[in-house]
Amino acid sequence: MYIRNLWSKVFILLIAVALIAGFFSIAGAATIKIGSLNDMTGATSDVGKDYALGISEAIRYINDTGGINGKQIKLYQFDYGYRIPEALTKYNLFKRLKCVAILGWGTGDTEALAPTVARDKIPYVSASYSGHLCKPEKTPYNLFFATDYSTQSRGLITAWFDKKWPQKPDYGKRKPRIAMCYMSASPFSSSSIKAAKEQAEMLGFEIGPDQDVSLYAIDTKSQILALKEFKPDVLLHTNTVMSVAATLRDSYALGLGADNLIKCWGYDENLPKLAGRAAEGAIGCAPWAFFGMDVPLMDKVVEYAKKYNPGIPMEKRTVHTVQAWASALGLAEALKRADKAGDLSGEGILKKGFETMKDFEIGLGIAPATFTATDHRSQSEAKIYEYKNGKFSLLDEVDLKKRWPDKWANEWLGW
Amino acid sequence: MSTTWLPCSVYHQDYAQDHRWWQTKFIKGKMILLFVILFVVIPLVADSYLLSICNLIGYTVLGALGVQLLIGFCGQITLGHAAFIAVGAYTSTLLILEFPWPKFMLDYGIAYPVSIIIAAVVAGIWSVLFGLPSARVKGFYLILTTMAAQFITVDFIITQYVSQIGGRGQAFSLPPGTIKVGPWVIDSELKVYFIMLIMVILCVIIMVNLLRSSVGRAWVAIRDNDISAEVMGINVFKYKLMAFYVAGFIGGIAGAFWISNLAAISPEHFPWFWSLWLVGVILIGGVGSIHGAVFGSIFMVVVMEGLQLAVIPLADIYPKLFIDFLYIKEAAFGLAICVFMIFEPKGLAYRWWQMKNYFNLWPFSY
Repeated sequence: MYIRNLWSKVFILLIAVALIAGFFSIAGAATIKIGSLNDMTGATSDVGKDYALGISEAIRYINDTGGINGKQIKLYQFDYGYRIPEALTKYNLFKRLKCVAILGWGTGDTEALAPTVARDKIPYVSASYSGHLCKPEKTPYNLFFATDYSTQSRGLITAWFDKKWPQKPDYGKRKPRIAMCYMSASPFSSSSIKAAKEQAEMLGFEIGPDQDVSLYAIDTKSQILALKEFKPDVLLHTNTVMSVAATLRDSYALGLGADNLIKCWGYDENLPKLAGRAAEGAIGCAPWAFFGMDVPLMDKVVEYAKKYNPGIPMEKRTVHTVQAWASALGLAEALKRADKAGDLSGEGILKKGFETMKDFEIGLGIAPATFTATDHRSQSEAKIYEYKNGKFSLLDEVDLKKRWPDKWANEWLGW
Repeated sequence: MSTTWLPCSVYHQDYAQDHRWWQTKFIKGKMILLFVILFVVIPLVADSYLLSICNLIGYTVLGALGVQLLIGFCGQITLGHAAFIAVGAYTSTLLILEFPWPKFMLDYGIAYPVSIIIAAVVAGIWSVLFGLPSARVKGFYLILTTMAAQFITVDFIITQYVSQIGGRGQAFSLPPGTIKVGPWVIDSELKVYFIMLIMVILCVIIMVNLLRSSVGRAWVAIRDNDISAEVMGINVFKYKLMAFYVAGFIGGIAGAFWISNLAAISPEHFPWFWSLWLVGVILIGGVGSIHGAVFGSIFMVVVMEGLQLAVIPLADIYPKLFIDFLYIKEAAFGLAICVFMIFEPKGLAYRWWQMKNYFNLWPFSY
């Protein structure tokens, strides 16, 4: 009994000391603090786990290769389980810890925090690539290193229209038919639907009834059956991978016969594992190379994954690790530029860091990134892949800025 | 749990004394101290992080009070409370953004307070609609009908129709400066904190007063045995609907309050999981006790944040802990709930009750 009491007292004391130390924690002078908000246990954890691992490995790589002009990055990485109220407290914790920038996560919390980060002038590099976040006039401190969702959706529809539609027997006889499957309650899923519909209309598609597919969906037969009458040639999916896989499976099983276009979060190495044969021919947008592909810097991604998370087999790592590296490396570059200019304030990082990037090459198969004071769409190019014969191969590269320069400059910014 | 035992030599001679808010000078002093801490000390010493934790606790308390009323006091199990919070939040947001308020109401910051009251009434009425099945079903069947509130309200009506108002898509933006109370623009954690305090105190007063009236006694009678209650002449259906109304009303206040802390709302802010979370809050805090709703909220929020804080210094020694802890935190939290249910099944409120009794009777317990 005495021992048990002693142990419990020691345990409580340890926790209390850790709690107090955590509450008053301050890091040394030669560090730059960054916060990272991740979802490893919530609605988007199917893709969030790999992203979180990628962030921690990328920061280690940055520190191992000289940090930010000699200064080490101290990373505070927290899980918020996709509970938006908790994201707000975590943001305040990052502020208390004096983080100079934040690597954020979902669309819901990123949009909810956008005015707050603008007020506090804290650059927020999110894993939400919503087109709404690209207009500096509205959301000056929201940035990301990826093709935004709207550009992805426009690129996917365009690539299918250019490459696949001419091969269909009905080509030239009627309009192509498209329908969209997404969770309408989720700003993440629905953020690019307006742009996708506009693009489809512009290219002369007939648009079918939207299908509400939950991010948690494991059965989507009713939605597929509802589409049978419309007979779509192609479906656009904007959910995360588990839900997309369920839709592909049901579409295949019920013989819908439509091609599938998938936004980046639904298109990763797990898709063929979850959807099986139904994933064959699936077309998706991946602004980054898939894990292990032969592109610059991928050797480091693989090396750090093996070194720091050896418990996770390499075949289970996905493209989301690569996109986490892109966010971290992009932010590090902005910090280096701002630090060189002697201004590591939020405004300094934005103006002297991000907004000085012109065609900046990260590697990892990503198109060069450019930010200006009036446009935060870092890329105009959508890289379109196709899953065929057990591997992902590049199908097309659609550069919307080159193809529709007027619309790109004047109409498509911010949605 | 009965009323707290009174110290020696304090005797009540009538019901009014029995039902007084603050029954002894000690309790009065204690409550004044609590108010000083809440209104003076915390705002003076807390930074934005601590205030945001307080605000989250307040939001959870407001949500949990309604659930406590339905489950803890009236015996109507609900798993759809997030829907009524959503109705409150959306009603208030729409009123602020879309309603043509007279200019003086906007200038004097009256629009938001008025929208809170309207949001509460709308959420109350909406809650009554989903309380109607309680006339015919109870127990597990009632759980299912209340769950329907979530799917019909949030996933269908709000997502498909309400969210489309204004053409913005799913997320309603609340630009900074939109929410104003009197002369104050609500743009900082501190201002949200004061709104939260006032809302929580008001709702607790409403709840306590209802519970010590004939309405409250009828609810408790229904909870204990609805057939006996009916035999005694209580209109069971009417009182059940009243419970749903009041629970929805307070839920509406919770939602309308919470938008003051947000810059955008979307249906994602009100997942079904939140209803379940609120039931967890009252189970940990103590079913059938207003203290329970408060203690449960504090526990659920503070433990999660505390675990997070505790890991920061430990990660300096063992850096991998940060990434590993992302998983462990949820597991530790689940374990804490299990431990609680095993060793403290009556909730934190019961422990509080025991402590109060111990000090009230000290040193001569009778």
